[in-house]
Amino acid sequence: MSAAVAITGVGVVTPLGDALGALHEALCRGERAVSPIERFAADGLASALGAEIAGFDPARYLGEGRNYRPLDRNGRLTAAAAELALADGGWDEAGRARAAVGLVLGTMFGSVHTISEFDVRALKAGPNYVKPLDFANSVINAPAGQSAIWHGLRGVNTTIAGGPAAGLQALAYAADRIAAGRAETVLAGGSDELCFESFLGFARAGRTAGASGRQARPVPFDARRDGFALGEGATLLVLESAEGARRRGARILGALAGHGAAFDPSRRRDPASAARAVERAVLAALADAGLAAADLAFASLSADGSVDGDVAEARGVAAALGAAAYALPVTAVKSMLGEPLGAGGALQAAAALATFGDGRLPGIAGLEETDPEVPLGGVAAATREVRRGPALLTALDFDGNAFAVVLVPGEGPKG
Amino acid sequence: MQPRIVVTGIGAVTPVGTGREEMWAALLAGRSGFSPVESFDTSRYPVHVGAEVRGFEPDRHLRRLAPGEVGRASQLAVAAGRLALADAGLDPDALDAERCGVAMGTTSGEPQIVERFDDRVAGDELDRVDGEFMDRYPSQLIAANLAAEIGFAGPVTMIPTACAAGNYAVAHAFDVLRAGRADLMLAGGADCFSRITYTGFARLGAIAPERCQPFDRDRQGMIPGEGAAVLVLETAERAAARGARVWAEIASYGLTCDAHHMTAAHPEGDGAARAMEEALAAGGLGPDDVSYVSAHGTGTPTNDRLEAAAVRRVFGERRVPVSSIKSMIGHTMGAASAIEAAVCALAVTDDRVPPTANFERPDPDCDLDCVPNEAREMPVEAAMNNAYAFGGNNASVIFRKWRP
Repeated sequence: MSAAVAITGVGVVTPLGDALGALHEALCRGERAVSPIERFAADGLASALGAEIAGFDPARYLGEGRNYRPLDRNGRLTAAAAELALADGGWDEAGRARAAVGLVLGTMFGSVHTISEFDVRALKAGPNYVKPLDFANSVINAPAGQSAIWHGLRGVNTTIAGGPAAGLQALAYAADRIAAGRAETVLAGGSDELCFESFLGFARAGRTAGASGRQARPVPFDARRDGFALGEGATLLVLESAEGARRRGARILGALAGHGAAFDPSRRRDPASAARAVERAVLAALADAGLAAADLAFASLSADGSVDGDVAEARGVAAALGAAAYALPVTAVKSMLGEPLGAGGALQAAAALATFGDGRLPGIAGLEETDPEVPLGGVAAATREVRRGPALLTALDFDGNAFAVVLVPGEGPKG
Repeated sequence: MQPRIVVTGIGAVTPVGTGREEMWAALLAGRSGFSPVESFDTSRYPVHVGAEVRGFEPDRHLRRLAPGEVGRASQLAVAAGRLALADAGLDPDALDAERCGVAMGTTSGEPQIVERFDDRVAGDELDRVDGEFMDRYPSQLIAANLAAEIGFAGPVTMIPTACAAGNYAVAHAFDVLRAGRADLMLAGGADCFSRITYTGFARLGAIAPERCQPFDRDRQGMIPGEGAAVLVLETAERAAARGARVWAEIASYGLTCDAHHMTAAHPEGDGAARAMEEALAAGGLGPDDVSYVSAHGTGTPTNDRLEAAAVRRVFGERRVPVSSIKSMIGHTMGAASAIEAAVCALAVTDDRVPPTANFERPDPDCDLDCVPNEAREMPVEAAMNNAYAFGGNNASVIFRKWRP
């Protein structure tokens, strides 16, 4: 990148809390949010493990007595994370009104629950009985659009569709706009909700833990893993130009120094091709940041317990890092948070910023026996002290899209 | 100096024709693609007309992927992508796959797949839900399937910013190329005919009963459609090195958000005007440099009035020609601004602009030169492509005549 982009605020709404400090503590304790799903009856499903946000109340973040009807669950999660991020970044009402703040959101579905419910109502009751409010939320960019309305975000507003990689992609998209001088301040990250429709779909596609009928074990890199536990949440970071952040005296949590993308044309049907895409994304991100593998202090992978995906991602990272892969500390926060789809990449980033703060890297909770196919020496169940240096974030999406982002503590290198 | 980015290939599948030549001829002739909806039963709806792509044969376009393994939007996207590469005179297998990427836009992704799931829910047949739902539904698959079909391995991005998504995808591909993150990009948009979309617009009373009449005083609404368009974008240097025919240069773009209402535009067209102004400023252009505006022009009473106001705010008293091809192909959702991008690229090459068809009575609230009913021959130095979407997403992209 032509210049590092500062990160000045974080908003997290997760099954393990809505404050980065508390989330980091929970992650470092190895607290797992994965438990039997309560939101919907899971009758007839082979498995019903998930990572839910219990008792989510938008009023807690966005104010009492306001009309939340126009926003569906994902819209509320996203608007809440935006509020938290802006407040954390020191953007008060006046500042927000002056700046044309942008929003770049990664999401897999917007809300497939809203979409499906709308259609089913039309099928059952007739097309005249659907609700216009639901139609407005049936577009995939609804959470970003609703959040822009709620917070008056008049800058660029882009939604990136994807699962595990969408959040990293959103961060990269936002950072490039800032580095190119096309935007000053952009909220970037992702969101998705846990709903019956996506859960059933993933279960029937055999991707969730327990879908095969075996004992469910959604533990990244574990030899007996059998799929992911669907999660949910929203995470947004405030990205701004380093110069702008300095000018307004903002606290700088870290900087986005580089990113890389690559696609596996086999769409993950060929594990070697998938690993190669991850490898190319990592190499591109390191080159973009002007760093070598040996410069990295730790890595955070998108691994979520998927049987093929975890190994492909690990192999790709290992191939890119070479000898550094033997010792580099590695985490996979989805062992604690489940697979929150669009929110995942930004959650990896938020957790990495917390590690910059106190030097602790969360372990991979529940990991008992690392899969011998995982060629990364630093995969561990225990929380560790790590150097406060550059962090590599990677994600491999369901469709073979691979992304990597390099974050650095402080303001990062200039120009 | 930043590299210049050019359009060297155009592929499209539309309700009025498949491929650049067929589509362009139909649009210049003012031909309409409206007919009774066949995708699903509309007997319980107050309206019955749509703009579907008839006789589409995915087998003719898909080589690596089997038509049965991807949804219809992906099929349309792949067909448009194959046509674009052929138009560009490129053999994709001879390209450096890792330096070639894809950026696509959509409104609904693969709605027909979720609609099949919804049929199961409504019919109390959840036991019949299988892996197809998650294997084929997620919208990102449109970009992934296109890249997989062609064999591209560079940056792949799916941007679902609804009815402005094609422009967002083109703008993103432009940035990817300018930043040197790829050498060649396929960029566009795709949507297939969707029961969900049709239901929603019918419920809003936004669908016209027979035809689409943008800017007409008696306009009655939009007509949902389907289609796909893909552009081949590459650096001018690369295009020149291989002796490629260039349709247009992408000058610049602007992206803004109304932050006003999910489904209604800002009452003064503020976000729309800011997108145009941002695009002009980014390209170092003034309003007088723009010869033609391809309107969002859905044909709904509100859109056209506010869009006209936004155009007047940017262009002042000058009556820049503004036309809407949605008068002929309906609103193809996420494909719309990609197809309109193709139109802008062709207009600057051809010095002809397509008409706004079905125009009969001027509306004082839409005081524009909307190129009524007849295509126009005129010098087109630069064409601005405007698109607006649910969510308040606005995007303007400027194409200009290629001058090396």
